[in-house]
Amino acid sequence: MSSDSQFCHEKGLAFLEARSLTKTYQVGSSAVHALQSVNFTAMQGDFVVINGPSGSGKTTFLNLISAIDRPTQGEVLIQGVSTNTLSERQLAQLRKDKIGLIFQSFNLIPVLSAAENAEYPLLLQRLPKTERAQRVQAILSEVGLADLGKRRPNELSGGQRQRIAIARALITRPKLVLADEPTANLDSETGAQVMDLMRRLNEEHCVVLLVVTHDPEVARYARRQVRIRDGRLMEGEGS
Amino acid sequence: MQLKTSLRNVFRNRRRTAFSLAVIVVGFVILVSVLGFVGEALQSTKTSLADETGAVQVGSEGLFENSSTGYDYLIPPGQLEQVVAIVSTMPGLVGVSWQLNFAGLVGDEQGSTLIVGRGIVPCSDVQAYECIVSSGSPFEETSDREVILGVALARKLGVAPGDRVNIATGTVSGNFNAATVVVSGEITYALEALEEQLGLFPIAFVQRLLKTDGVERILIRIDDVDQAEAFAFELQQHLQSASIPLVARTWKELNPSYASIESFYGAFSGLAMMGIAVLVFFSVLEVLTISFLERSREVGTLRALGAGRGRVFGSFILEAAFLGIIGAILGALISVALVLVFNAIAFSWIPPGAAIPQSIQLQLSPTVIIMPILTVLFSTLLSAIFPSWRNSRIEIVRALQSV
Ligand SMILES: Nc1ncnc2c1ncn2[C@@H]1O[C@H](COP(=O)(O)OP(=O)(O)OP(=O)(O)O)[C@@H](O)[C@H]1O
Ligand SMILES: [Mg+2]
Repeated sequence: MSSDSQFCHEKGLAFLEARSLTKTYQVGSSAVHALQSVNFTAMQGDFVVINGPSGSGKTTFLNLISAIDRPTQGEVLIQGVSTNTLSERQLAQLRKDKIGLIFQSFNLIPVLSAAENAEYPLLLQRLPKTERAQRVQAILSEVGLADLGKRRPNELSGGQRQRIAIARALITRPKLVLADEPTANLDSETGAQVMDLMRRLNEEHCVVLLVVTHDPEVARYARRQVRIRDGRLMEGEGS
Repeated sequence: MQLKTSLRNVFRNRRRTAFSLAVIVVGFVILVSVLGFVGEALQSTKTSLADETGAVQVGSEGLFENSSTGYDYLIPPGQLEQVVAIVSTMPGLVGVSWQLNFAGLVGDEQGSTLIVGRGIVPCSDVQAYECIVSSGSPFEETSDREVILGVALARKLGVAPGDRVNIATGTVSGNFNAATVVVSGEITYALEALEEQLGLFPIAFVQRLLKTDGVERILIRIDDVDQAEAFAFELQQHLQSASIPLVARTWKELNPSYASIESFYGAFSGLAMMGIAVLVFFSVLEVLTISFLERSREVGTLRALGAGRGRVFGSFILEAAFLGIIGAILGALISVALVLVFNAIAFSWIPPGAAIPQSIQLQLSPTVIIMPILTVLFSTLLSAIFPSWRNSRIEIVRALQSV
């Protein structure tokens, strides 16, 4: 594994920390413990694969880290700041500037072209038009879709869509990228291409990459693996 | 890009958008018809009243306040000349005329009936209606022993143009006087009740009949009826500075019923606008609620990417604004076309209390188009507020889970 990238200067610093992270859903009179007291740390430049059976709490874990959901107990610290202390507006800002999200079913906006989908986060950052255009061009080349920018999502294949979604997640140069089953809707060959791309981005852009997956093929790409089971997190591969 | 996104979203579900636009356009057309009808009705009432009375009248206070006894309100010839001289210098003037009216009896050996006699300046610029007789002919310039009778009065008397009738009344000093005149023509009149009593005479004849050289009132016609208040105000000041003891009154003051007609039509238009606003509001609300909810997952995605609530809310409002604007443009184009066609066909009807059929025309003034535009824009935006607000506050995780 080509672990030591020369671009990853700040390697070795804790970027992300989860402390006794707990999420309990109240369903009628019974409580569902989706996540129970999870402790987790990710270093700058980490590439972590998270696996575990269905319903074990993987998506819940990612949702709490990206702060689109709030924990029942415990906290998430990003670069030392607890997301519990941030307002709705500040959380939106955090996601916009520091976090990239990749969804299992891509979640592209159908009325926008591929290039516009990728550009959207820059719009949120209010970047000037010329710089936006440059960055869109660059990122589309990087994911190998420079010629397809004008197409709408429904005119792209699954793999192409997911690559646009990756472009959208990376265009702001986030420090943290969360991907929930990014290859589940792709065939194994396309899945491998997408994972190659992710690994390259991890190495070249020094992003912390957290990838949830069921797929053992995908898991091979990671430098580190954790497993979630019944809402508890365990380091290592074990089954 | 936000504009582009919202605009594209408008046309995303064509059938639904077509439905919303259809409701907006239909509402728009209805509203234009109502406002166009009302506008035309008011305009024609206004013109016919102002034609009848002149835009501005000058007379003694006693005449207008109904406080005179006998004929002591008459304007002597010297004052008439002064007023005409003043008025002639004023801008916007079309013509000036004068009247001397009386009540008396009309008839022949067979019997007699009441007549409301109007002594007028024949075929003046102000009241030219005696020139448009329905049978017979207008006054001849050489003769002033003539009368033009209301059609209904002529029928009642059993006379036709060429026949003679006798007129009897009291003079200004209270004595009795009578004369024989030739029926020169017949005239239809907007009010049936008055048509049964109306007789028009050359004013010189009425002055001889009443044994006076005075006139009752001076009628002024101006090129823009809507300037009547300003004209009357200025004239009043001229009268005062010339110490002429007469007052100027506008057609509106002389026809107090116009104000109530106006407020009736105002309330009618207001109700129509509210009705259309409510119709558009509920139809568009239903459509937007569905199509916004369908996009929960997209809202969740954008919010997860870091879009604020305000941005999401704004983009939905913008989308509704586009819908409203497109609807308003379509509505305006379609209703202008329909009104032009309708006016070209020129349907006619007889308004209540009127004797002559009129063609129904719809007014196409700026107001008639602008009010519907404001109404549909307002209600479209209003109907977007709640669904937009609700979508902007949706829980992100829940929104992402929805299909
Ligand atoms: N909104 C919710 N209300 C109630 N229970 C929920 C809710 N969301 C998740 N859960 C429950 O929390 C547990 C963890 O769910 P989560 O989606 O995190 O699992 P997962 O590991 O991502 O599963 P999968 O591999 O199927 O995606 C499950 O038992 C699920 O039923
Ligand atoms: Mg999941």
